[in-house]
Amino acid sequence: MKKIIVPISILAVVQFSSCKKILEVDPVEFTSDDITIVDENSARTAVRGVYNQLASNGYYGYTFQTLGFFSGDNIQYTGSQTVNNQLTNHDVKADLSALSTAWSAIYNTINRANHVIEKVPALTSTSTLTQAVKDQLVGEAYFIRAISYFDLARTWGGVQLVLEPTKSASERPSLSRSTLEETYQQVISDLETAEGLLPATTNRIRATRKTVWALRSRVHLYRQEWALAETYASQLLDDVANYALVQPYQNFFANNSSNTSESVLELYYSTAVTNNQASQWLPTTKGGVGWIRPTDQLVQLLNDPGRGGNRSSLLQKQVISGVDNWFGNLYYRADRTDPAFLIRVAEVLLNRAEARANQDKLETALTDLNKIRSRAGIPLLEETADKNELLLAIEQERRLEFALENHRWYDLVRTNRAAAVLGITDPNKLVLPLPFRELLVDPQLVQNPGYGE
Amino acid sequence: MYSKYAVKHFYFFVLVLLANQVIAQTNKDSIPENALTGIVIDSKSQQPLAGAVVQAKDLPLEVITDKNGRFLLKGIRQLPVVLLITYVGYERLEQTVSSRVNQFQLQPKPGDLNEVVVVGYGTQKRSDITGSVAKINPAELKRIPVASFDAQLQGASPGLQVISNSGVPGEAAFVRVRGTTSINSSSDPLYIIDGVFLNNNSLQTTNLGGRTTSPLADINPADIESIEVLKDASATAIYGSRGANGVIIVTTKKGQYNAKPKLSLAISNGWVEADKTTLPKLASGPETARLANEYWINSGIDNPALNRTFANRPFRPKAEGGAGLPEEQETYDRLGDLLRKGRVQDYNLSLEGGTNGSRYYLGAGYTDQDAFFKVIGFNRVGVKFNFDQKLTDRISFGLTNNFSRSYRNQARTGDGPQVSLWNSAVSAATYSPKFAEDGTSVGSDNTYVLMENYAVNTKSIRYVGSAYLDAQLAKGLKFRSSFSLDYNTYDEAQYWNSKTSIGRAANGQAISAISQNNTWINEQTLTYQTKWGLHGLTALAGNTIQSSDLAYTYAEGRGFANDNYRLISAASIQTSSESYTKFTLSSLFGRIGYNYASRYFAEATVRADGSSKFGANKRWGYFPAFSVGWRMKEESFLKNLSWLNELKLRASYGITGNQSGIDNFASRGLWSGGSGYADVAGTPLPGIGPRQLGNQNLSWEKTAQTDIGIDLSLNNNRLSITADWYRKYTSGILLQQPLPSSSGFSSYWENVGELSNTGWELTIQHVNLNERNFSWRTSLNISGNRNKIERLPTPITRYTRDWVILQEGYSMNSFWLYQQLYVDPKTGDAVFEGQEDGLTVEDRKIMNSFYPKFYGGITNSFTYRQFDLSFLFSFQYGNYSLNLQRYFRERNPLSGGVLTNLSNRWQKEGDQTDMPRLTSVGNNYSLDQNSRYLEDASFLRLRQLSLGYNLPAKWAHRALLKSARVYAVATNLFLLTKYTGDPESNVTSDPTAQGIGSFGTPPQPRGFQFGLNLTL
Repeated sequence: MKKIIVPISILAVVQFSSCKKILEVDPVEFTSDDITIVDENSARTAVRGVYNQLASNGYYGYTFQTLGFFSGDNIQYTGSQTVNNQLTNHDVKADLSALSTAWSAIYNTINRANHVIEKVPALTSTSTLTQAVKDQLVGEAYFIRAISYFDLARTWGGVQLVLEPTKSASERPSLSRSTLEETYQQVISDLETAEGLLPATTNRIRATRKTVWALRSRVHLYRQEWALAETYASQLLDDVANYALVQPYQNFFANNSSNTSESVLELYYSTAVTNNQASQWLPTTKGGVGWIRPTDQLVQLLNDPGRGGNRSSLLQKQVISGVDNWFGNLYYRADRTDPAFLIRVAEVLLNRAEARANQDKLETALTDLNKIRSRAGIPLLEETADKNELLLAIEQERRLEFALENHRWYDLVRTNRAAAVLGITDPNKLVLPLPFRELLVDPQLVQNPGYGE
Repeated sequence: MYSKYAVKHFYFFVLVLLANQVIAQTNKDSIPENALTGIVIDSKSQQPLAGAVVQAKDLPLEVITDKNGRFLLKGIRQLPVVLLITYVGYERLEQTVSSRVNQFQLQPKPGDLNEVVVVGYGTQKRSDITGSVAKINPAELKRIPVASFDAQLQGASPGLQVISNSGVPGEAAFVRVRGTTSINSSSDPLYIIDGVFLNNNSLQTTNLGGRTTSPLADINPADIESIEVLKDASATAIYGSRGANGVIIVTTKKGQYNAKPKLSLAISNGWVEADKTTLPKLASGPETARLANEYWINSGIDNPALNRTFANRPFRPKAEGGAGLPEEQETYDRLGDLLRKGRVQDYNLSLEGGTNGSRYYLGAGYTDQDAFFKVIGFNRVGVKFNFDQKLTDRISFGLTNNFSRSYRNQARTGDGPQVSLWNSAVSAATYSPKFAEDGTSVGSDNTYVLMENYAVNTKSIRYVGSAYLDAQLAKGLKFRSSFSLDYNTYDEAQYWNSKTSIGRAANGQAISAISQNNTWINEQTLTYQTKWGLHGLTALAGNTIQSSDLAYTYAEGRGFANDNYRLISAASIQTSSESYTKFTLSSLFGRIGYNYASRYFAEATVRADGSSKFGANKRWGYFPAFSVGWRMKEESFLKNLSWLNELKLRASYGITGNQSGIDNFASRGLWSGGSGYADVAGTPLPGIGPRQLGNQNLSWEKTAQTDIGIDLSLNNNRLSITADWYRKYTSGILLQQPLPSSSGFSSYWENVGELSNTGWELTIQHVNLNERNFSWRTSLNISGNRNKIERLPTPITRYTRDWVILQEGYSMNSFWLYQQLYVDPKTGDAVFEGQEDGLTVEDRKIMNSFYPKFYGGITNSFTYRQFDLSFLFSFQYGNYSLNLQRYFRERNPLSGGVLTNLSNRWQKEGDQTDMPRLTSVGNNYSLDQNSRYLEDASFLRLRQLSLGYNLPAKWAHRALLKSARVYAVATNLFLLTKYTGDPESNVTSDPTAQGIGSFGTPPQPRGFQFGLNLTL
């Protein structure tokens, strides 16, 4: 018996003494979430991490953009994921996967921003991590949170307002959906905070105080707060040294342009972090799949010299089996570094034109509008006394000016023109259904009316 | 004590030397004139066999061995003579005899009661086993040309479900032992080869359209001696943490002590070709064009805004600006051009033998398998060396070595729009010319361009080996220590030149991805065996320490000067990445087995495992199992029943665990770096962000299993039956529990959910005929399993478009679809359940499942003189598959090829069909999750048919050979199924998305091979 017990006990001792050490394996590729934002370097990298998520494939890199693309009448989907046509047909089912992808990418961005907002102010200031630097970093996070909630609100209506970072699965606040008004109030509140924190510098790929002004001009336009929209637009446009339309139209994107004076905010992509629009837009002969294309109607309009003018540069033609095929040309770079254009000077100008027209400042509104028409190389509009006619002209101009950017659907919805233009009779269809997956997981969420339940 | 020892030794002595003694005696004494004597023994146990039939070939002489296995055959006038020895349950032996005194060793047939079965950390006699273990003799299965041995096992064993996802050699098969027990962690069985825990997670990292390669293809099936499948908890609990999904133990050939060198050569050659019955049937050019016009015009009627009319239909006369009338269209057969007869070759040379103190097996093999369509191929060079040496009477050591290099010429098949070779040939409309007039390719990737320019290949260098030391510490007490290693370098290379869509986009793109997986295991075991009176006791204690790491480096180059530059160093944009991950396991285990009079058996097993993957407080899991067996045949009331050879009842209960398949750091809260942005444009800088929420309470997933079984053998072992019933209940499932996305995370790892598998297994083997020159045996195995998700707080959907759902109360991999009720004969529109108030996601229904109600295999084997013939049917019943091929290719004839099936569509009022009117508007053809594509994928397949001829020993002898055999094997000759295509095909290797069939997936080919085995 002794003969058996001795080796067994040796075995057991060796095992237990060694196992404690053996079972301690730490990751080298990732870090523990106990140590995240602890100093200047980690604060700066964490803010870049927020931008990275803003630019991610699910958000401004691709999917979120397509929700607006296919819902409008400028852009069509011709690829294999025919469910995307639900957007075009305004018969969206809650299980459309793009809904869930975009929704989660946006909230992921918000969570990252929340980490910065909570942790950076608590860092000890140093000679390089000054209060001003901390303010700037936190201000950027507020700005990104604002644009995230703005995108959620305009796409889905009021949403849950998560303002704290998520640190564990069990300790999450129980939130129900806020109203649309509350959601917009949060956007404005975040923008106001950001405005106070950010420096009034010029950086076209990061948020500054000027970027806040530009976004505010848009947010107030959505809220029909015309005077505010005009004020903020003017604040930016008055900085003529830094912000101006480039001539001609295509110079803001063509020939690998980026960071032009036209750009107020564009997201930067590198060969390591790529923008995946191009592979969807480019024809197969140029290495894409050509699944996202301009609609026939848009092609006609852009190719009309009197209406599209030099904005026809947004199009490219391929003859396939003797038939003309039209493809978009805004996203084309072989290395997939096309910027995502979020706010351009042209938009701020047209925001102001619309805000002014709505305040019956028809003359100055027309001046703004004609700057866009002039740059596009199309005839200027004559003065008009008819406010509605002018507003329609602005709507038409926005359609072509931002033909392949993500404005058309939201413009038609916010101006209550979707029924007339897109033939949507059911007002419930002006917001998209919440992703089905979220309803399954989160009992607090209530589906938008008209989408079942 | 002394006397017992002496008795046992004497007994052993007698056994081993019985033959020699007999021979010595008879030699000395008189062998009658013209007579021949010998003894017939079991080659494994060395026990004499009584009642074996000994025949002299070509002479009317026949005797039966006596109770000592001896025989005396009179009337042999001259030598040599060929003797034929048969015994139920053993392989037939034919041997040329040139001496008057002989010993004959018979090989037991698989499934027989006396055979020795490999179990966890040891071997047992079949009759003593209390758990559920199936033994597979892979001899002929090796001939199925699929590169990896797991894919060859379909239909070979009860409780083992094997599905070949595609017809690409060396790709991962779907393997389950008694159902699927997990959701997010792996449900693959544990593979052990000669005691080495084998990595069976593919190291492939580059995109092959959702398909992965099989790491088991690195093992040469020719070196395999036997395969055991451990199914119930009593058999697998000794592997504790790893046992929940069943264990497959592979034993390679070892050589034999005191055996002359035996040189074997095995050659086979043949081809694989497309099985026309499962190929997609594409409509001709004119037919597709007619459908395109119909689709165009109907869409225009349904939505006038589309401005699609008869006048502007695409296939109108060229004079009107169209592409010509449908009947003027050509048919371009891309698929036909892609197919080929793929050559399949296999060469194996082995040398085995042994002396008094050592034994060895040396094997070298080369396999080359081309797929049945262009480009894809697999080849493997393997070297095998097993060696055992006795140092003293008490101490021995040994080595097993397995070295191989597998090379794959790959192409993307399966899902995905870009560079998918199979899809490119199926997706293009047959009216589209192969090339545009200007010579450029049309549409998505061009089949012909891809065939010429594919450059994707992988080299896998694999070493699997172990060294052990055995020491007899005292009587019955043995110590064993072993160290084993599984090392794999997996080197993937791609080059896309400017003619391919990927290369066009990037101005040429090159990728190099190298993974290195390194698993080492150190193991100590002590075994103790004793016997007193009628009591038998065995005990085992041991420990294991395992460490496994995976390092990965990736480099990519884009932007090449021209197509002549192919390496990343010549690219203008170069990016790279690296990753490293590791886990460790530490385990203690023990087993005690007791039997009384070889009649009552009881066994208890326990294993404790600690895993680095889990939260610090929850690392250790404890896995006990108990089993009992009762050999009723040994009872006095049955002992004398001559027709009953065996009756045994078995029962077991135990708990096994699972931690494989989950991320090595699944329990940790993590932030990741690298996700960068810039401070000023043009200068990318690093960023950080949250990656994963932690869960310090994450712990083992546990499966409790009950098994009740019976072994029955009747009528001189002519009929043997094994039946089992089991229930597996898995709780604390390692689940990526979905979280509301508003948290910023989509899920985190938690022990949530419960899953059950209840099933039965039945094996029936029967010797139908056993005549002198003719024998016929039938073996049937059939298994049923019912999988049910018992608890899952949140349903989980799978794959693009959420075709597959996991929901409480349903089977895993059920389908989640809009149910098409019928096609309105009046309008031709599809009518869906619940569409009256608008079709919403609430109207989707959970339907059927990918898992079969039952499955199995039937083998019939015949021998007639020197010929043998066998055929294996495998089958599944009650499983469904969503035919993605039909979903994609029965919709839009404007944008691509369509299947001939579309001729069944509704065309005019009164048509009764399930295929609605062709239009782009409405739900007819644009609703993705349509139940119309869900098909019954039950099948019966003639998996293998083989015919062999053994050269008569007399002739072989003249050619200085021990034996010679020629054979022919055909695979997949016949298929019975309702499914359109190959019912086993799956678009992805992802186990949770199984049941999505056919799209982009080459079906399994037919194979024909001819082989020659020579033994010197």
